[in-house]
Amino acid sequence: MGMKLLLEKAHVEGIRHFEAYRREGGYRSVEKALKEMSPETIVEEVKKSGLRGRGGAGFPAGMKWSFIAKPEGVPRHLVCNADESEPGTFKDRYLMEFLPHLLLEGLIVSSYALGSHATYIYIRGEYAWIATILETAIAEAKANGMLGNNILGSGFDCEIYVHRGAGAYICGEETALIESLEGKRGNPRIKPPFPAIQGVWMRPTVVNNVETLAAVVPIIIMGGEEYAKIGVGKSTGTKLISACGNINTPGVYEIDMTISVEEFIYSDEYCGGIANGKRLKACIPGGSSVPILPANLLLKTAKGETRYMNYESLSDGGFVSGSMMGSGGFIVLDEDQCIVKNTYTLARFYRHESCGQCSPCREGTGWMEKILWRLENGEGKESDIDLLWDIQRRIEGNTICPLGDAAAWPVAAAIRHFRDEFEWHVREPQEAKRRNYGLAHYADPIHVPVAG
Amino acid sequence: MSEQPLLTVTIDNITVQVPAGTSILQAARKVGGDVAPPAMCYYSKLEGSGGKCRTCLVEVSKGSEKDPRPMPKLVASCRTNVMDGMEVKNITSPRVTDARAGVVEFLLINHPLDCPICDQAGECHLQDLSYEHGKEGTRYEFQRRTFKQHDLGPYIQLHMTRCILCYRCVYTADQLTDKREHGILDRGDHAEIATLIEKSLENNFIGNVIDVCPVGALTDKTFRFKNRVWFLKPENAHRECPDCCGKVTLWNRGEEVFRVTARKDEWGEVESLADGSTAWICNTCRFEKKKSSDWVIEGPRKISRHSVISQGHYEGKVGTTIPTETFSAVHGGRKPKLLMDIHSVSEVNRPEIQLSQIAGPSTGNDFTTGKD
Repeated sequence: MGMKLLLEKAHVEGIRHFEAYRREGGYRSVEKALKEMSPETIVEEVKKSGLRGRGGAGFPAGMKWSFIAKPEGVPRHLVCNADESEPGTFKDRYLMEFLPHLLLEGLIVSSYALGSHATYIYIRGEYAWIATILETAIAEAKANGMLGNNILGSGFDCEIYVHRGAGAYICGEETALIESLEGKRGNPRIKPPFPAIQGVWMRPTVVNNVETLAAVVPIIIMGGEEYAKIGVGKSTGTKLISACGNINTPGVYEIDMTISVEEFIYSDEYCGGIANGKRLKACIPGGSSVPILPANLLLKTAKGETRYMNYESLSDGGFVSGSMMGSGGFIVLDEDQCIVKNTYTLARFYRHESCGQCSPCREGTGWMEKILWRLENGEGKESDIDLLWDIQRRIEGNTICPLGDAAAWPVAAAIRHFRDEFEWHVREPQEAKRRNYGLAHYADPIHVPVAG
Repeated sequence: MSEQPLLTVTIDNITVQVPAGTSILQAARKVGGDVAPPAMCYYSKLEGSGGKCRTCLVEVSKGSEKDPRPMPKLVASCRTNVMDGMEVKNITSPRVTDARAGVVEFLLINHPLDCPICDQAGECHLQDLSYEHGKEGTRYEFQRRTFKQHDLGPYIQLHMTRCILCYRCVYTADQLTDKREHGILDRGDHAEIATLIEKSLENNFIGNVIDVCPVGALTDKTFRFKNRVWFLKPENAHRECPDCCGKVTLWNRGEEVFRVTARKDEWGEVESLADGSTAWICNTCRFEKKKSSDWVIEGPRKISRHSVISQGHYEGKVGTTIPTETFSAVHGGRKPKLLMDIHSVSEVNRPEIQLSQIAGPSTGNDFTTGKD
């Protein structure tokens, strides 16, 4: 049984409300932080914990906090990024739905550490009922003196506001989120200046993912050094993984990043194996933006070592033979799934969600979608595969925000690992319409070249 | 300004000194010629513009004197400020030329390639860009995005099919006029420039959106399809205008004034006035004063010799400017190697004869007279 720091109490009766949450030991970290600790020591603890941003990029949270500018007389803000829109990722939804007070607790402590007196939760519009849950939780916390003026007699004032987005994936990018929060069109800003210098209303701002802020609570309670002992290497603490796809038990799982990918997929404690007795073909281990991996490269790295569920191991081999931890949206594909179709679906998503600000992403995503549609429907040409490769290469890295990269990576990885399937769609279009390419050799053991 | 220390920046082996806060693009424009990256969305007179079209991407091979690490990604030169000791590669970097060719391709996949019937032809930035950086063919085999034409008030027509979403007009409308009714609807490749519920734009300075548009998406309805720009003769003129500076360019054919625009500099931007403000012009000057008698003519406007507009005016009625040549400076003083000097074998090609000095259509006699 893995260690649970966040979801341990998720199924206690009435935990969604203040009384039950408090009875179960909630808000201890607020008491400890506000009464015993200074903002600087909290930032220090978070730095020591090695907590990495859970939104996708994995940037150390303590480091991000220490970058915030502190000019005299300018208010600072903390913004919680709850615009979870990555296909395959639904961990924040689970956390906010079951444990809204855990997020609030983390937010109060983090606001205190960063000196934010007005903290915002930017939640995607589709999570309409969760916004209501959060607002109820905020009202309860306020009625019990955990929010508002002079929290627990410490002299620290803090208000938390819930801001509903209008359902745009791009508003999960931190600068687009800030624009949207200001009431403007959600176009990403050009960096620099970074939000830590000029964020919401040109004030220093920190934007963190829901899970990152919730993880501050166990860090304060157990101390940063203790927290850093959980997990392995630079992947400290626990991580929520939202597993979906062709598995027996999809859902949100909390793992401590020491288990192997194989164990995660096949053990009954987690995904419970591939559904319907099928075999594993491929997996997108970190949400739709990260490169897809065939079964053999997923379970073992290119060097033949076991791959583990943590930041370093999943990205072992770079993009040539690895992937990324991303936001923890673990999408499993069995032997009946078509990679071309899957890539087309993702390309359609990114075309729809591109903000249209910079030209490579605006035009390139649409172009890739059209070519993939043609390939999927048996009208493709051999040269289309190389053209796709060329388009993604010219989008990646040339855009304002990472959406361009996120649109390019899935296409690049699909062509890199499953080129024969694309070619089969071109050569046998009628056959490709009727049946799937199947498993081919994707699950075969990988050949590890031996030196000498 | 003079007290501030100047920063030294090297762009394509040419070193310039610029004040702090200058963007790489502005520093490169100071050098001029081919070293200046093309810019489709950046407009130095509009605050917040730039960074969107990605044609001005450059490689920073040395960050600064203090931190000499190169920047990992190509950066948008219009929105990146120079640091002391920075080294930038524009036309000398294969990465940049490759990425730029990609951006041109992306910009053109949904742009109609109907320059012969487009009103902007001859003064279109996208036309110049694709001529200089594009490929001869397209790899795009799908239907292009099309929209219906819209009238934004009595003077301006919007044809979204041609738009490249540079946002320049949005910034113009935002910064020159007081009501915000011109913006972007939708997102991604279905985004479009629009006004609030197809409202017409009624502001005395809204005509300037035509001048900032790099393509033929926003056109002047009083001029549209009346003439081609290369048949017209640009002349500087001014009048006493109660609303704007009144300094304009008239585009004449014979005595007839076909259109009035603001004065544009060599980068296609509206010029600055002596007091540092921008010479935007009002709708009255632009659309209603179309008689020579309304204006005090100052003389012919200088047009770059590379522009098609200069081609029809050999009579010397239009002054031409010769673009900056940077070739030998970029190559460290090396001169291009001539395989054959055309002048030594050609009867007619004589560099000392300026075409613009020849009156009327040129004949062989113009080149043979005075030759031994």
